[in-house]
Amino acid sequence: MSGNGLEKVGGAGSAGTAGERREIVKRGISASPGIAIGVAFLRDPEHLVVPRTRVPESAVESEIELFQQTLAETRNEIVNVRTLMTDRMGDDHGRIFDAHLMILDDTTISEGVFRLIREKRYNAAAAFNAVVEDIIRSFQEIEDEYLKDRYVDIKDIKRRLMRNLLGREKVGVEKPDGPAVIVAHDLSPSDTAQLDRDATLAYVTDLGGRTSHTAILARSQGLPAVVGLESLSGMVENGDTVIVDGNTGTVVVNPREKTLQDYRLEAARYRELEEQLLTLAGYPAITLDDKEFMLAANIDMPGEAASVLEHGGQGVGLFRTEYFFISHEYLPSEEEQYQTYRSVVEALRNKPVVFRTLDIGGDKIASYLHSSPELNPFMGWRGIRFCLTRKDIFKTQLRALYRASAHGQVKIMFPMISQIEEVTKTKEICAEVRAELRRARFKFDENVELGIMIETPSAVAVADHLAREVGFFSIGTNDLIQYTMAVDRGNSKIAHLYQNLHPSIIRFLKQTVDAARKRDIHVSVCGEMCGDPFSILILIGLQIDEFSCSPNMIPEVKRIIRSVTFDECRALVRRVMRMRTTADIEREVEGFLRAHVQRGGAAEGASE
Amino acid sequence: MLEFTKRIDNKIGLHLRAAGEFVKVAAQFRSEVTVYNGDRSANGKSILGLAGLAAARGALLRVVVDGPDEESAQRALAHLFDQKFHEE
Repeated sequence: MSGNGLEKVGGAGSAGTAGERREIVKRGISASPGIAIGVAFLRDPEHLVVPRTRVPESAVESEIELFQQTLAETRNEIVNVRTLMTDRMGDDHGRIFDAHLMILDDTTISEGVFRLIREKRYNAAAAFNAVVEDIIRSFQEIEDEYLKDRYVDIKDIKRRLMRNLLGREKVGVEKPDGPAVIVAHDLSPSDTAQLDRDATLAYVTDLGGRTSHTAILARSQGLPAVVGLESLSGMVENGDTVIVDGNTGTVVVNPREKTLQDYRLEAARYRELEEQLLTLAGYPAITLDDKEFMLAANIDMPGEAASVLEHGGQGVGLFRTEYFFISHEYLPSEEEQYQTYRSVVEALRNKPVVFRTLDIGGDKIASYLHSSPELNPFMGWRGIRFCLTRKDIFKTQLRALYRASAHGQVKIMFPMISQIEEVTKTKEICAEVRAELRRARFKFDENVELGIMIETPSAVAVADHLAREVGFFSIGTNDLIQYTMAVDRGNSKIAHLYQNLHPSIIRFLKQTVDAARKRDIHVSVCGEMCGDPFSILILIGLQIDEFSCSPNMIPEVKRIIRSVTFDECRALVRRVMRMRTTADIEREVEGFLRAHVQRGGAAEGASE
Repeated sequence: MLEFTKRIDNKIGLHLRAAGEFVKVAAQFRSEVTVYNGDRSANGKSILGLAGLAAARGALLRVVVDGPDEESAQRALAHLFDQKFHEE
């Protein structure tokens, strides 16, 4: 948490003073490659820029009145939301808003605000901000993690009430004027979903790691991102010049002229390199000994489809449908979904598109779907578990997907499978959907291939059974590693346990591929592991059929594939299968990479 | 003035929702309600105060009621603990 509310108050309206401020260089985690130079836009819903004025004595009572009116208005708003949620999702979901109402009614807030207005002559917004920040701070001091988490409810109320207050005072900028570097303490998937891709140059956040959702999204949009910068957002003001170097994980705020020049050169060099890699787009992903792999892309939004082809992708290996849901304030209808899926399929011009059905839960939450907080969301009601209990939502999505299959090559994939019953149940639902569409005389492909994500250790263990039920496997390495190593990838204290090349992971991959081979079904890897040069060599050696990664990584993956032989990678896998530690495996792979990949390279590979 | 001490044994302690349930009951009475968790104390009619007590599962809370209807207030609040704040 950066700074306190009042410091931010002082920063209001001081944009444009960048020249006088000193250069700040911070290292974070490189989350998405590329270099961007631009003006900062602070996207911080928790830290609204709150205007601070001194209220003259004559206006004190009207300022108090303003606050009371806003309280009443906000109260009505929450009552309405509660009614809506109770109607839609049952009494239990409405109940959290009772607590919100009680917070609004709590005299701790109103008395504190009145006192600051009367005694210190704060304006209502600044007074409310100070009181609530105090409460939030006292909550953050609580050591118990579960109790501590509850300050998000208070933030939620703060946001609501502040919006109403500031709306009256006609202050508060929501969107940058032009293209900007988005700076935030943290960006939730719903925050990023609302940001305009064309107005975004790069992402910079205090929290997050390489596999956090900001990182994944930035990579699929081809925008640079640096995350895990700890307290940077507190040092930046709107309008500051910011350099984001996603290649090294460096961020420079208010750069000196010399720094700026250096980075301009570096940015140009990088662009050139990228263009060179792009010339590979037309060549197949084939090893020196003629083994061909399929390269596909992971995307979240229809707008990214064009970049898949541009980077030489042979299809979409993972279309995450949840971002479409998260970016809506309500449940998108069948027709809306159909139009969206159709536009993706059409943009891919008959190349296959694997749609993953709604994977809500975990750290991806749409407010209208999933209102009750869970103690352990990653082990909770997510993926197929959510869909099988909310069959209404699931069937609507499946109908839309089947209808889109009339316009191109659609495949459907189900997330978070941990037992075979989930697959048989899901297939029954798909059959129901097909029967309904047939009756309603919709055009669709009767043979849409159905596949599953392999991302839980239990799915790996029964992969041989699962392989009899489905048309393809896609290994979601991010979650598979998280669940296998029992490590929260967002927790910096244990993040080192998140290891792509842990012996357990390589064994699990091998087991999954073997099970798929036996039934002759297609197996792909769609986790972030595909973008890691070390891991790629192992995946080649394991004979994964398809690699699916962010569009802008496709050329680099292709370069690596084109510079090695399948035989040598297989031998490498045989060697590392016998090793006991990640460190041993990494050393072996690094040596291999040095000996084979560097001497290969794009130009040589492309000349065949 | 009456008081009782009870252990919080609903799943995740006196979080916001549970604190809300407490306030709902406490607010029905005219008596003043004060809740102690170790050396911290809070007004039993303030949801923020109660949630700020940081009473995790297993914490022993001392509840003091003082006023004209303190007996029924004590009964109702003690009952709420037994019902685990209507959670399960």
